Amino acid sequence: MEIRLHNVSFSYDAGMTIKAFSGSFSSGSFYSVIGPNGSGKTTLIDLISGFLKPLSGNIEINSLPVFSFSKKNLARLIAVVSQDHTVNFPFSVKDIILMGRHPYISRFSLPSAEDIQKVEKLMDICGISHLQDRKINELSGGERQRCVFARALCQETPILLLDEAFSNMDIHHTLQMLQLVKQSVKEKNRIVISVFHDLNLASTWSDSLLVLKEGELRAFGSSTETLTEEIIKDVFQVDSIVEYNQHVHAKQVYYPMH
Amino acid sequence: MGYIRIPITDIFQILITKTASSLYSFKDINETHLAVIMDVRLPRILSCACVGAALALSGVLFQGILLNPLADPYTLGVSAGAAFGACIAIILNLSNAFVSVPVFSFIGACLTLFSVIFLSYSPKNPTAGLSSNNLILSGVIVAAILSAGISFLKFIANEQVSVIIFWLMGSFASKTWSNVFIIMIFLMAGFFVSIFFARDLNLISLGAKSASSLGVDLKKVIFILLLSGSLLAAVCVSISGIIGFVGLLVPHMVRFITGPDNRKLIPLSMLSGAILLLFADTITRAVLPHEIPIGVLTALTGGPVFCWIFKKNRFK
Repeated sequence: MEIRLHNVSFSYDAGMTIKAFSGSFSSGSFYSVIGPNGSGKTTLIDLISGFLKPLSGNIEINSLPVFSFSKKNLARLIAVVSQDHTVNFPFSVKDIILMGRHPYISRFSLPSAEDIQKVEKLMDICGISHLQDRKINELSGGERQRCVFARALCQETPILLLDEAFSNMDIHHTLQMLQLVKQSVKEKNRIVISVFHDLNLASTWSDSLLVLKEGELRAFGSSTETLTEEIIKDVFQVDSIVEYNQHVHAKQVYYPMH
Repeated sequence: MGYIRIPITDIFQILITKTASSLYSFKDINETHLAVIMDVRLPRILSCACVGAALALSGVLFQGILLNPLADPYTLGVSAGAAFGACIAIILNLSNAFVSVPVFSFIGACLTLFSVIFLSYSPKNPTAGLSSNNLILSGVIVAAILSAGISFLKFIANEQVSVIIFWLMGSFASKTWSNVFIIMIFLMAGFFVSIFFARDLNLISLGAKSASSLGVDLKKVIFILLLSGSLLAAVCVSISGIIGFVGLLVPHMVRFITGPDNRKLIPLSMLSGAILLLFADTITRAVLPHEIPIGVLTALTGGPVFCWIFKKNRFK
């Protein structure tokens, strides 16, 4: 499994949101996308998931253009946890997670015993079994995010795209979900691409970092290569100290007080 | 019940004779009663039930697509368009031709729908274009223009003003079998389309991105369901004038019982809508001393009920 982007550009209006992006992502790796607000992180996720169409350039999955897949087949390849996790009608948590099986259930049939079993297993793993009969719109932001997460995992796709999927979770659940994702990257050979704001979490958990600035790829590689004081200054305009931390076995960023 | 009292046994005799005359027929049927039942009351009852079901279904579709439990079949200005069309037909005195008012109002409703979709659609970003905010805003703008147009038509209408006003208030009086067949065809088609896309409609409530990532072809599904909902509303308005609150209230109340799953919500809302409107029409026709327009009755009773539900829910 490989995702390849070649010279991809996209813009909403006048300014370019993504400029001539090229890069490829391969199985068994955890990629993190970092960059300031408005640098095109979400747009990049939307382009890969096929939600947005690039103005120019190609996006290919296993050498086939994303748009050659039917919507349903694409939903069996790519699962997305988007930033917006509001649900407009009072579905129960269980119903929401069962929606993750939608691409596998044919139009007029009911979910099979296997589907139900998968849903229950994932609710258990994500620690939301006790919420299963609650209404989704009555939960807290972090709980709802875990439900959306479980729904995306339920899709059982080789590619998982996370757009600030941990933003409302407490540290316990953030680490639990990251552990879960990391494990599936290794065991199921998944591709995970995750947008992060926390540079230290990104550095600790991912195999590769993509640094975006104004829609351009500023750096792409392991955190040892990409996470430097110069790049952080250039991209975020903040002073920082970057050090290898032996507890997390990765570089960590500190922001000194003046 | 009604102005002419017909014993219930006679009603059954008439119905049996008409539906299964080959099996059994009654000899002593009153000719007037036969005409009253077959040509006046039955078409009225059936068209009323169908309009109730169609309005409720249309309400479910609009609330689902616009992600707004307060949307109704008239949110996109379909009713204003239909009313405008009807006013033109009345003013041009085409109403003698008997089909022209429904036909004009249907055309008016369809033109309004297409201008609303045209306004909110942007070719550059098709999925975001048909977002609920864009649609509601375009609907409000178009409806405002049209209602000013209706006021103008009323102003220049002279003596036909009362015809316009009565038409706008809605009524099932003097419905014919052709009305029943038209609404029935639209209702069946609308039902099959919406049941076909019921699960996609469920997923749309997760928001555009999530629905898309779960395999819903948003542009196609939204367009088809929007079209079905609006055509249903348009055909209802063209047959019976503007009947408010059924499309808003019924899906709401049914959702309390079935939950938000559209696969249950659609059929049950249709059934409840039919029963509710039939009940209301029977009250206006047979219980009240004078027949009042049904649109007035549904708004007068539905409005307060809605206020109560809304208030109760906010403080739950």
